[in-house]
Parts: sequence; C-alpha cells; structure tokens
Amino acid sequence: MNSYKQWRKTIFILVTLIFTLSLILTGCGSSQSSGGGSSSPSASSSSGGDSKQTTTADSTASSSTAASSAPKDDAASFYKGKKMSFIVPYDPGGGYDEYARMIAPFIEKYTGAKIEINNMPGAGGMKGVNELYVAPNDGLTIGIINGSAMITNQLAKISGVKYDLGKLGYLGRMVSDPRVLVVSTKSPYKTFEDMMNSQTTIKLGATGLGGSTYVDAVIMAKAFDLNQNVIHGFDSSSLVDQAIQRGEISGMWGSWGSRQKAVKNGEVRVVLQSEKNRLPDIPDIPTVYEMAQKTKDPAATLEIIKYWAALNDVGRPVAAPPGVQPDRLKFLQDVFEKAMNDPDLLAVAKQGSRDLGYVSGAEMAQIAQDATQMPPEIEQLFVKAIKGEL
Amino acid sequence: MGIAEALVSGFSQVISPHVLPYIIIGALFGFVIGVIPGLSGHFAMAMLIPFLYTMKPETGIAFLIGAHSTVAQGGGLTAILFSTPGTGQSAATLMDGPPMTRKGLAGQAVGAAMTACFIGAAFGAVALAFMIPILQKIVLVFGSAEVFMLSFLALTFVSVMGRDDMTRSLIAAFIGLLLAMIGLDNVTNQERFTFGSLHLMDGLDIVPVVLGLFAASEVIDLWLRGRLLDKGVAATTSFRKTQKQIFEGVLTTFKKWWLVLRCSVIGTVIGVIPGLGSVAASFLAYGHAMQTSKSPETFGKGNIEGIIAPESATDAVEGGALASTLAFGIPGSSSMAILLGGLYILGVETGIPIITQHVDLIFVMIFTLIIGTLIGTVVGMFVINPMARLTFLRGSLLVPPLLAVILTGAYAVERSWFDIGIVVFFGIFGYMLKELNYSRASLLIGFVLGHAVEKNLYLAVQLGGPAFFLKPLPLAFLILIILFVGYNIRSHMKYHKKGKGVMKVGN
Repeated sequence: MNSYKQWRKTIFILVTLIFTLSLILTGCGSSQSSGGGSSSPSASSSSGGDSKQTTTADSTASSSTAASSAPKDDAASFYKGKKMSFIVPYDPGGGYDEYARMIAPFIEKYTGAKIEINNMPGAGGMKGVNELYVAPNDGLTIGIINGSAMITNQLAKISGVKYDLGKLGYLGRMVSDPRVLVVSTKSPYKTFEDMMNSQTTIKLGATGLGGSTYVDAVIMAKAFDLNQNVIHGFDSSSLVDQAIQRGEISGMWGSWGSRQKAVKNGEVRVVLQSEKNRLPDIPDIPTVYEMAQKTKDPAATLEIIKYWAALNDVGRPVAAPPGVQPDRLKFLQDVFEKAMNDPDLLAVAKQGSRDLGYVSGAEMAQIAQDATQMPPEIEQLFVKAIKGEL
Repeated sequence: MGIAEALVSGFSQVISPHVLPYIIIGALFGFVIGVIPGLSGHFAMAMLIPFLYTMKPETGIAFLIGAHSTVAQGGGLTAILFSTPGTGQSAATLMDGPPMTRKGLAGQAVGAAMTACFIGAAFGAVALAFMIPILQKIVLVFGSAEVFMLSFLALTFVSVMGRDDMTRSLIAAFIGLLLAMIGLDNVTNQERFTFGSLHLMDGLDIVPVVLGLFAASEVIDLWLRGRLLDKGVAATTSFRKTQKQIFEGVLTTFKKWWLVLRCSVIGTVIGVIPGLGSVAASFLAYGHAMQTSKSPETFGKGNIEGIIAPESATDAVEGGALASTLAFGIPGSSSMAILLGGLYILGVETGIPIITQHVDLIFVMIFTLIIGTLIGTVVGMFVINPMARLTFLRGSLLVPPLLAVILTGAYAVERSWFDIGIVVFFGIFGYMLKELNYSRASLLIGFVLGHAVEKNLYLAVQLGGPAFFLKPLPLAFLILIILFVGYNIRSHMKYHKKGKGVMKVGN
C-alpha cells in the first residue's frame, strides 16, 4: 500500500516536470510567435498557431470547391445553413458588442447562415483583430473593429499588432465615431473659448495611456495649445464619469454615442465637436474646424485636425480576414448593405439610441487607406501620443 | 410616482403572468450557468441580451436579473462539493466548503450556503429600496482615495487569515500582489512580467487562477489520496441523513443571523462602490467572520461560519451594485455593465429618469432579486442530495471528469488554450502551496486586490496630491486600518506566546 502511494508520488513529480518543461517551451515558442500571427512554424500549442494551420487547410479546401462550380450563385448558396463566426474584440455588454448583436440577426436573415458571436477581449481590442486576421479566409468569419485605435496602434508599431488593416476585406462601416469634448456642468468652463483662455491647468480624465480618450485629449491640446493635464489610468470611461461628477476632474473626450446619456442627464455639457458639420443633435456647439480659426496659427491647427478627422472617420468597420474569395466578399458586402438599410434594423438602432453611419466596403477600404497616409511629422505626433510621450 | 405606489405597482408587475415565468426561467438558467465552472454571471446575461429586443421593460429586466441572481448560488454549490468554483466570486467559499464536504457534511454546508445567499440577496435588495431617495449622493462619496483605503483595509485581512503562520501568509500575499501586476499597466504602458507574451498582456484572469489554485490542486490531492472524504468518515451518507443535514444547515444560518446581517452590510457597501466587486466583498466578509469568531483556528478546516459569511456577502453585493448602476450608470461589475446595455435596449434610462419616473422598475428589480434567489435556494436544496452522492465516489472515478470540467471551464471563459496552461501551472503551484502550508487564501486576496490598490493609489495621488489621505473619509479609513493592524499584531504576539507555552508543555 505504502509503496503504491510512493509510486504515485513519483509519477506525479514526473508529470509535473514534464508540464513545467512544456510550459517553458510554450513560453519560448510564443515569444517568437505570440498571438500566433507570424507564419514561423512553432511547436507551441497557442491558439494562434492552430488557427493558422486551419487557415491554410481551409483555404485550399475552399479554393478547390470554387474551381468546380459557377461563382455568383455559388456564394449565395454557400452560406445557406452554414455557421458563421462574428468576432467582437471586447467584452459582452460594451458598445461594440451591442452593435454586433444588433446587426447579427440581419446578416443571418440575408445570408441564411447562423451567426455565433465570439467575444475575444484583450490587448485593448487588438487580440480580437489579430484573431480575425489569421482566421480561416473562407468567408465564414467576420468581425467588428475599433478602426481608429487599431490604425494608430499599427502606425505606432505597438508590440502585439499582428494585423495589417490595409489587407482586410471590408464589408462596410456600421458607424463613424464623432468625438466630443464634454465638461462638467459644475465646471467654470462654459465654452471651449473659456478653456483656451484658461489661466489654470485644465484637468481632463482618460482611461488607459494610448487609449482613444487619452489620444484625443493630448492631440487636441497640442492642436489648440491648451494648458492641460490629462489624468489617465481610470479602468473605464464610467469611472472617469464618476470623477467628473465628484468634481475631481473637469471633463473628458469621448465618442458622441457614449457621452449622449450624461449630456441628457445634465451632468456634463458638450463644448466642442469633431465633425466638419455640426451634429444635428448639438447644433449650438462649435466644431474643431470653427475653433481652429481662433488659434494663433490656424493653418497648423487645421493640419493636425485633418489627420485626426481621417482617423475618426474609420469608425467601426466590419471586416473579413484577408484573402476571402472575391465573389464571397462581394456577396457579404451586398448582404451588409441590405442589413444596414433594413427598416427593422433602423428601428432597433433608434430604440437603443445607437447611431448608424453606413459606408460601403469599397469606400471603407479607401477610408482605411487614407487614414494611414500621414506626413511624417504628423505621424510622429500621433505615435508620441499613443506612447504617452506627448 | 410615490414610493409606496411604486412598490405596489412593482410587486403586481412581478407576479403578473408576463413577468413571473421569465423570472423562473431566468433563475434556473442562471443556476445552471453558475454550476458550470468558467461560465459566470456576465455570460448568462450576455446570452439573454438578444431576447430583449422584443420584450417589455419589466419583462426584460426580470429576465436579466433573474438569471443573474442565482449564478452565485450555483457557483457556491460546485465550490462546496468539488472544490471547483463555478464562478470567480465563489472563491472565498473554497476555504471552508470543501473541508466540510470532506467531513461528510456537504448537506449542511450547502443548506447554509443557499440560505445565506437568499438572506444576503434579500438584504441587498431591501437596502436598495431604502437607498432610492439618497442613491445619487451615496455613489459620489467614494472616489479613488476612498476606494484605495478600503481595498487596503481588505488587504490587511491577510493578517487575520495567516494567524497560524504569519511569515508564510505574508509571503503568499506578496506573491499574490506580484501576480496582480502581470500585464500591461495602463498608467505607464509598461508591460510587466509578460515576457513578451501577448496572452499575458491583459494580466491573469481570475477564473483560471482560482480554478488552478483551488480546483486543480485539489484534484491532484484527490488523486494522491484516492478519496474525497477524510479518513474516518463513513463512505456514504444516507439520503435521509443528507436531508437532515440540509435543514441543520438552514437552521444554523438563521441562528447566526447577526453574522449574516453584518456580512450582508459588508456586501451591500462593497457593491455600491464601483470597481471592487463581489470577490473582494466575500473575502472581506470571510476575514470579518474569522476576526469576530470565537474559534478562528477552525476556519479553513470546515467552519460553517466560513461559508455563511462569504455567501451572504456575495449575494448582498447585487443590491448595492444595482444601486450604483441605476443611479449613475456606473456599473459596479461586468454583469452590471451588461445590465446597463440591456436597459439601453429596453429603452430604460438610468440616472435621474429611472429614479424619478420609473421607481416601479426598481421595485421590479428588487422583487426579482428576492424571488430569483428563493428559486435558486429551493432548487439548490433539491439538487444537493443527488449531487452529494457523487462525492462518495472513489477518487479514481472522480478525477477524470473533474479535470475535464475544470479544463473546459478554463477554456470557456475566453476560448483560450493559454488559460488551460494557466490552470495546470497554478494547479501544481497550488498543490505545492498546500503541501508546504502557505495560505492560498492570502495569495488570492493579494491577487484580487492588487490591481484596485495600485490603480486607486495612483489616481488618488494624481487627483488629491500626496496628502490625499487627509480628507475626512479616507482619514477615517486610515485610522481604522491602523487600529485593525495594531490589534492584530498584539493578538498575534499573544497567540504566539501562548503557542510557545503549549509547545513547552508538549515537550
């Protein structure tokens, strides 16, 4: 009996050793191919590595089926009864998740496929995009993307970027993300001009260093030469809200969609908006373009705003991995267009007070392309902002 | 709408035929999700979101909250029986739940846990009702300075739990703090301890860590010992005997009403504060129960108070968390964030509109919480008897399915193979800690609170300057911390002296 126990202990220790060794090996392996995006074949069991293999397997399989039958009809019939995966790079319950869950039934309706929503939060939205990038390119995997953040990360070559937004197949854009600067209704700043003339340092709040609330704040401070201090490190924008209401900070940058409610509740007021034309909901608030005329050097300010706006324009696109067969991508783009214009979807979006801003897949690819074309000194500015060096 | 009127309206809505069935379906669904390791409350709620588009607000709210209310109960059940926490928030139940099962007292433990859950939830819900008029002011009381002090206070509970071996306990707590630092720090954008791995960039998720430390390590232990129950415990307990145990457990909980009440208060308060969450609440309650217990040395070895305290606190959190979610749209937990999304879809506006115009909906939530947990309690008591049979099985029969469930659970959270590796790593690590008598509870407290302490200290200093602790509330907390640590150092020294005395007698 005792020797039996001893024997088991020995086995346990052996197994432990093997596990430890394999963990170390996995660790070394994934440092080369972390995220699984790189094509270097590694023996590690990381999920990325696996899906890469399926990619090649699937693409050969699908190309052989495509060769044997007619293209257009094939795409439509291909999707009937299939299972599609919709990657959401954030937790359930967030804005991206809501948009995905809102449109999924309509994509189901027009493709006849069944959609499974896959939340893959991580690395500030990069993990899901990395996974989308290496997903099987048979046209059965699509995902929603935080466009402007992913582009700036790509520009700054942040470690962990394993994607190239220029190579994705875009179905189109769900919404652009107009930005607004809000300040507490209790703060001394009534207008943006008050802020420009402020003698004391303006305290704004932001989430993570390099996140969009942070980047917007520092870029605009640079453009308008503001006397500003951004306090970042809040875990979520709702905690920034709380600090605003406690009077610890004056305000924050955010997307109009996410700030609407606090504005309606009278907690904060908008003092500046990002779109060229004033948003219909806030017709009395000046745009950045209008305010740029009141700076010392309007041309320089406008130059920064121009590229910042190009980034915001990317908004929230829905895309497929690179290399999806053209006829399937075309079919998905048509489906997306029909879904986005479905009166039922419009009604649902209105009910949830979620804005929509459709552009087609082709236009979206152009927008993504434009956003990456920056003059070096502007690009340097954004890279600095993302890295927190501004 | 007056409060009394809203109360009546809320109650009649809850028992109406277009709401009540959804509470029941939701509660059963939530219970099952809770039982399955790796699937937690926010998963249950996210699954229900697509159904909301066609629902009336009261139906949708009842559906969501009904599902959410029973998750902790389901999680507690698996934690007690198989030392496998169904959800992260049942981590504190792992201290005393499994030891009671090993003693053959599973029925009693589950009976107590289910009842404590129900009372905790009911307390939280009633507290929410009373908070309605002053809801807005309460949440604003807690800024980063206050949250820092409070989480630091929770951290000092390590000193209570490690009474037997302070040095090892502190080492474990510091390891926990270090583990909490893994990942990309969003203050400095520095990657800490990630070794260039993208998987580690977001830090360690609590579920695989808890599954590894407590569940996988116990499976290893079970494999080596060959039997779940302790030596000297009869191999089976009869159906009738388990039934009797359940009622004993229920009765004990009612007898310890004062403890239940205090822990419910802890849970509710922590729930109101955004960013601490139910894991912190349950550990605080556990530490508190141990601190005030007459026999703290039996904690961790199967003291029923060690189950009652965290279970009542985790469920009381919900009422508090609802309060801050409703008043400000500041979600206290990820589940509340999803609820907020759900309310958006249902067209219910949080903040001033709901407090002034839709008080009846708040009462729908309150009654749903109470009815939901009641359903969970009843279901739990019926399920426990057949499920407890399983614990009498031979280890070699239990180990493979348990391991499969644990690993699947770890994978399910984020569909990540890496998390399975985390479970294996922490399983072995946890077994070593257990064998070498390092407190896994201390480690977990450090791990759970590390982030809150660090992040809020940074924000507090940024916002309030280096002397941020001189504001009245943080100062009060600081004094409390000093008194608490001082008292514990004193009693520790006393205990140590006494211990030496006993040793001498023994020699």
